[in-house]
Amino acid sequence: MTFEDWFRTDRLPHIYCAGCGNGTIINCTLSAVDQMGWKKDDTVFVSGIGCSSRAPGYIVTDSLHTTHGRALAFATGVKLANPVLNVVVFTGDGDLAAIGGNHFIHACRRNIDLTVVCMNNQIYGMTGGQGSPTTPWGCLSTTTPYGCAEPAFDLCELAIAAGANYVARWTSYHVKELEKAVKAGLETPGFSFIEAMTQCPTNFGRRNKFKQVADQVEYIKTHALLRAKRDRMIEQGEKVPDDFFVIGELMRRKRPAMGVKV
Amino acid sequence: MKLAIDETRCKGCNLCIKVCPYKIFKEGKRPNRRGIVVPELDRPERCANCRLQHLYGRRLCGVCELTCPDQAIHWIEEQPYEPMKVAIEY
Ligand SMILES: Cc1ncc(C[n+]2csc(CCOP(=O)(O)OP(=O)(O)O)c2C)c(N)n1
Ligand code: SF4
Ligand code: SF4
Ligand code: SF4
Ligand SMILES: [Mg+2]
Repeated sequence: MTFEDWFRTDRLPHIYCAGCGNGTIINCTLSAVDQMGWKKDDTVFVSGIGCSSRAPGYIVTDSLHTTHGRALAFATGVKLANPVLNVVVFTGDGDLAAIGGNHFIHACRRNIDLTVVCMNNQIYGMTGGQGSPTTPWGCLSTTTPYGCAEPAFDLCELAIAAGANYVARWTSYHVKELEKAVKAGLETPGFSFIEAMTQCPTNFGRRNKFKQVADQVEYIKTHALLRAKRDRMIEQGEKVPDDFFVIGELMRRKRPAMGVKV
Repeated sequence: MKLAIDETRCKGCNLCIKVCPYKIFKEGKRPNRRGIVVPELDRPERCANCRLQHLYGRRLCGVCELTCPDQAIHWIEEQPYEPMKVAIEY
């Protein structure tokens, strides 16, 4: 079997813009799910609203495409009602960290046995490119026409502080690593959070001087800092540049979890 | 195994060109029927997966397949007795 078997091929090609990283993240997630050997009948995908949240519509299993920001609330219900199900959540930065921020921290605190894949394109893609809580400082969006003047959320730090059992961040360039991280998340009992930094060429790249899709992917690649390297830089007293972000496995622990299959 | 791009799915983003370590994909020249410039394949028989998948019994490399946001990259089996090029890497 390959990840291709999990797609509703009659629904492809999907609606995502050319070069949108969401498709890549879905591939990596489905590839990890495929390696788990789960039955399609026992697997549920849940999402909120956004481009990223359209993902479950292209997957053959049962799924819930819920209201904006509420994916985790619905997923909590599914998992606690029937812990036998394997529940995977697709969400976006706006969906998870803006309108759904409270559900996020409490799902981490409760440590519910879910795997959450957040496609962080640092923008509200679906609604035309408004700034989100993860839009980096100085970046242009329709609501930050002079450059974003707010500091951005670090979603992984947030998940760690709130109590998630597994936290990792990769990018749409690091496909193999992302696939492995999602698999590790699926294997971990308790809340697993995988943040995938990705490109939105239409609403982020276009406004922020990335003419080609590959330019933005290159930017993401060159501004990703491996955790070990970051730690080494701090040890040696070097300053980590502000526009860099850390990638790698950031947390793995065994806090008590809810909804774990017995 | 033979590498192929599904023209009905490809949206011409050229990300496959960026990620393949063998530089097998190169920019296409002409738009197809759907108005999309699909990348061309440059000696695809060099692809690690094309050459070695059967020997190892698993997917090798496969980075282009995972990266392609539009699920357009596949491998297809050759027909029996289909003429094949043999790639030699120095
Ligand atoms: C209650 C509610 N408020 C606002 C919206 C409008 N809305 C739809 S998608 C979206 C933002 C999605 O952003 P994100 O989660 O980052 O997804 P992306 O499209 O970037 O993948 C908003 C504000 C809505 N659908 N429902
Ligand atoms: S608007 Fe952005 S996130 Fe939405 S499909 Fe297009 S590229 Fe992807
Ligand atoms: S990555 Fe996929 S969609 Fe993009 S150009 Fe290559 S084959 Fe086409
Ligand atoms: S599998 Fe690897 S070597 Fe083969 S075409 Fe794809 S990226 Fe290139
Ligand atoms: Mg977004």
